[in-house]
Amino acid sequence: MTMDAASAAVLPLRVRLAMLLRCFAIQGVWNYETMLGNGIAFCMEPALRRLPGGRGGDAYRQAMARHSGYFNAHPYLASVAVGALARAELDGVPAVQIERFRVAAPGPLGSVGDRLIWAGWLPLCSALALLAFGLGVRPLGVVLIFLGAYNIVHVGLRWWGLQAGLTHGLRVAQSLGNPVLRQGPAHVARATALVAGIALPVAAQGIIGPGRVVLGSVLAAVAAGATLVTLLHGKIEGWRLATIVLAAFVLYSVVR
Amino acid sequence: MGDALLFLPLTVLGAVLALDVVSFPQAMFSRPIVAATLAGAWVGEPDRGLAMGVALEFFALESMPFGASRYPEWGSASVVGGALFALTPEGTAAAMTAAALSALLVASVGGTSMVLLRRFNAYWARQQQARIARGSGSAVVALQLAGLTADLTRGALLTFLGLAVLVPLHEAIVASFTMSPTVSRAVVVAAASAVGLAAVWKVVHTTPLARWYLAAGVAIGMLIAAGLM
Amino acid sequence: MALDLVRIDDRLIHGQVVVGWGQPCGVGFIVLVDDAVATSEWEQELYRMGVPPEMDVFFDSVESAARRLPEYRADRRVGMLLTGDIETMERLVTAAPSIRTVTVGGIHHKPGRVARLRYVFLTPDEEAHLRALAKRGVTVTAQDVPAAAPLSLDALLAGDGVG
Repeated sequence: MTMDAASAAVLPLRVRLAMLLRCFAIQGVWNYETMLGNGIAFCMEPALRRLPGGRGGDAYRQAMARHSGYFNAHPYLASVAVGALARAELDGVPAVQIERFRVAAPGPLGSVGDRLIWAGWLPLCSALALLAFGLGVRPLGVVLIFLGAYNIVHVGLRWWGLQAGLTHGLRVAQSLGNPVLRQGPAHVARATALVAGIALPVAAQGIIGPGRVVLGSVLAAVAAGATLVTLLHGKIEGWRLATIVLAAFVLYSVVR
Repeated sequence: MGDALLFLPLTVLGAVLALDVVSFPQAMFSRPIVAATLAGAWVGEPDRGLAMGVALEFFALESMPFGASRYPEWGSASVVGGALFALTPEGTAAAMTAAALSALLVASVGGTSMVLLRRFNAYWARQQQARIARGSGSAVVALQLAGLTADLTRGALLTFLGLAVLVPLHEAIVASFTMSPTVSRAVVVAAASAVGLAAVWKVVHTTPLARWYLAAGVAIGMLIAAGLM
Repeated sequence: MALDLVRIDDRLIHGQVVVGWGQPCGVGFIVLVDDAVATSEWEQELYRMGVPPEMDVFFDSVESAARRLPEYRADRRVGMLLTGDIETMERLVTAAPSIRTVTVGGIHHKPGRVARLRYVFLTPDEEAHLRALAKRGVTVTAQDVPAAAPLSLDALLAGDGVG
């Protein structure tokens, strides 16, 4: 198999689906030393069985040893590396090249995923669900909106990444240049800002219930609190600060 | 409340949702807006579960599961918080404050438990290092399954202990609380929204124009909340 | 003078560099010095994907980096120069003695290396090379992120991997 015959169909659908399923558990044994390392080998394993010599053969064992070492990436985009590395192994790419890919790939696969998902799609879906609640959508509807929107992108990204990796091998960077991945984060960030902005007061009122008297003081407290949390950024996280505030409030109202 | 018949299914739910936070399948069933709603639905009060989930989701906007960073674990925490709030009758004075505080405490302990698990994972990986370096596929698969099992167990323990400790505490707080339900909810909402707003700011402020989108959004949201739109 | 940050990091371009240093220091361009990457198109493409569109990345061999250094210094943006190992940095300093400060930003675990800091693991040979750099008058420090205080070479080499 050469790079010219580039197609994800180097592997039967059954094997690709087995790899996809394993990708959902890629962080199963995440740790501070090898991070995703073992997970990468775990996800590639169904493909590596097809190396000359089969499961347990020399090529299989060398590849498993190579891929279980340190590796870090965004968990969803790690499927790009899983696909690319599996393709490279099946194509018999020299180990030196594969090692160089393992050094180069974590940076882009981490930063693109962080910007697109953790700082992008997840907060946007959260904000959408909060807004839906504020506008009176029932619990089942809120949950379905959130899970549906989020997982179309989540599952799609894992599958796309695996396919792109298998198709392009170590030359997979060209698919990371996809406009969705390059320009997407900025658009998602602006959408998040807008939707979260609308959702915050609407959802807050949804919880407190009718009564504008309280809402005024709440808004003032929110403005002051958000400023405080922003100023204290890097010193204490907001949720810890809030834990202290709530604990103090409970204590005060119990003992007074 | 407090019987094993109620605790056991909630413990299973907490375990499965804690597993979702990082290990499998990371489909965000573990976000408070889903997890607390499911816990509420289980005890027959999906609306109260959702209300708690929304409050906690504001807090959770701040903590995304960025790789090696340390963050609160919302899966089991939201199950505990959602169940506590849903189990307290409508109109009870302190219900939301006490339940939110409980959830935040479980989230904090949960975050610490994840750090410990990650150290254990490294320890197990070292134990298997010789076999893995020889390219043993079964060692790689076994290690992965061990980590997943340990995480599931972690979530179960955390949820069960959380409920066992916090249900009586919650009842005690609710019994001696002296503020009105509205004030109780308002305090939680104010704290949660402040954290949420700061979190959204942190995420979007480096993107050109995003601050104006945020300002416009807040203005529209306030008009809707005030019943003017 | 631009090109204030000269760093050794075996992960080359990754989140800590792009976000950790890039955002607070306003880094406008990165010079990646590595003889193999300088001739490998697919690796360059991959590294380019790791930085936001508004940040430039230049790829150089040791030889071309030394030659183009004045050009990079004349750039009005803040620049960061990266090598993946101590050996490459030593050759670069030999070719371009005007480099006076070097930061060890991350050298990770490999068989034979001993933990010195959380993010620095070194073989005895690598330690000797760092000392040799310092003997030539280069200020060698260790610092992973801007918020952390830079550690002197002596403090780095006395570390036990916990700090």
